[in-house]
Amino acid sequence: MGRELKRVLLEALVVAAMGLAFALLANLASPRGLSLSRNYFPGTGTAHGFESSANSKVNPAANGDGHLAQGNVAARLKEKGLRLIDHEQALQLFRDPQYELESIVFVDARDDRHYAEGHVPGAYQFDRYYPEKHLPAVLAACQNATNIIVYCTGGDCEDSEFAALTLKDSGVPLERLAVYGGGMTEWVESGLPVEIGERRSGTLRGAKP
Amino acid sequence: MWRVLNHEWVGVVARWILGTLFFLMGLNKALHPVDFLKILREYDFTTSHVLLNLIAAALPWFEVVCGLLLLGGVAVRGSALLLIGMLVPFTLAVLGRAMAIHAANSIPFCAIRFDCGCGAGEVIVCHKLLENTALLLLATLLLIGRSHRWCLICDLVKPK
Repeated sequence: MGRELKRVLLEALVVAAMGLAFALLANLASPRGLSLSRNYFPGTGTAHGFESSANSKVNPAANGDGHLAQGNVAARLKEKGLRLIDHEQALQLFRDPQYELESIVFVDARDDRHYAEGHVPGAYQFDRYYPEKHLPAVLAACQNATNIIVYCTGGDCEDSEFAALTLKDSGVPLERLAVYGGGMTEWVESGLPVEIGERRSGTLRGAKP
Repeated sequence: MWRVLNHEWVGVVARWILGTLFFLMGLNKALHPVDFLKILREYDFTTSHVLLNLIAAALPWFEVVCGLLLLGGVAVRGSALLLIGMLVPFTLAVLGRAMAIHAANSIPFCAIRFDCGCGAGEVIVCHKLLENTALLLLATLLLIGRSHRWCLICDLVKPK
């Protein structure tokens, strides 16, 4: 029995070593692979320092008061020196003539698929998990902008906050950055135009008359 | 009962079920590592971002390997032991998180659903716990069973 157990343990060890080596190589080779050393959630003391995991990303019944959640987000952003803007403010900035001149810039912090499915017209994509792909173009756009509005899906999505912090760490002055808390969900629900595919693709949909 | 459970075909079916599930779930996570990383972070089990990244990057591919080994019948008992080693802490983590949600939000336990990071999206916790228990039983069956049917290299470490 002891010998049998040893045999199984040894076999498990061999599989574990081979599996781990393969896993690390596959991650390295994958275009979507993660960097092992990068802190993807900067500014959080714990693995999930923003809020209790007991309250996050569970069924809607558990999410409670939306206004309270919004207040929590605002306080959290303030702690990081970031501004939270609401839908009216985001819309006002979108309709400002300065938006066409790129003094105002919208930054979409979601991944390729979500961005291609629809983003705020003219918004730059900045998937912060793959900064090498997006950061040069976004930083160039942010150079001359006085207002940079970062958004993600909305609700409990934190990517806009982290993207804004990454931009700050890359040299964008903090006072120019703002987070649109309602995000894409609120934008779409309000019947505002959505651009499909690439930035400035010209394909718009969803605008209410 | 044991004779039935130890039947060669039961072992083959157990291997294929476990192998297919782990291969598909692992692949789904491996192709979307950022989503898996975000879910892992929800469990709050470490303050080390390197450890978090390592698990999010390696675990899905590791599951794919174990799934393929079981499907092909290679190092069956070693792979089954590793699956148990992954399933037990993961099931406990899901249970712990569900209990925390239950306590914090007063939701009936079996009405709690969230994306547990298993690769199948949002799940009802009670279903997930039952499913994992069944998978654990299948893995245990492979670990203590003697099925050698349709194995490429059933035992990687041969008995002397």
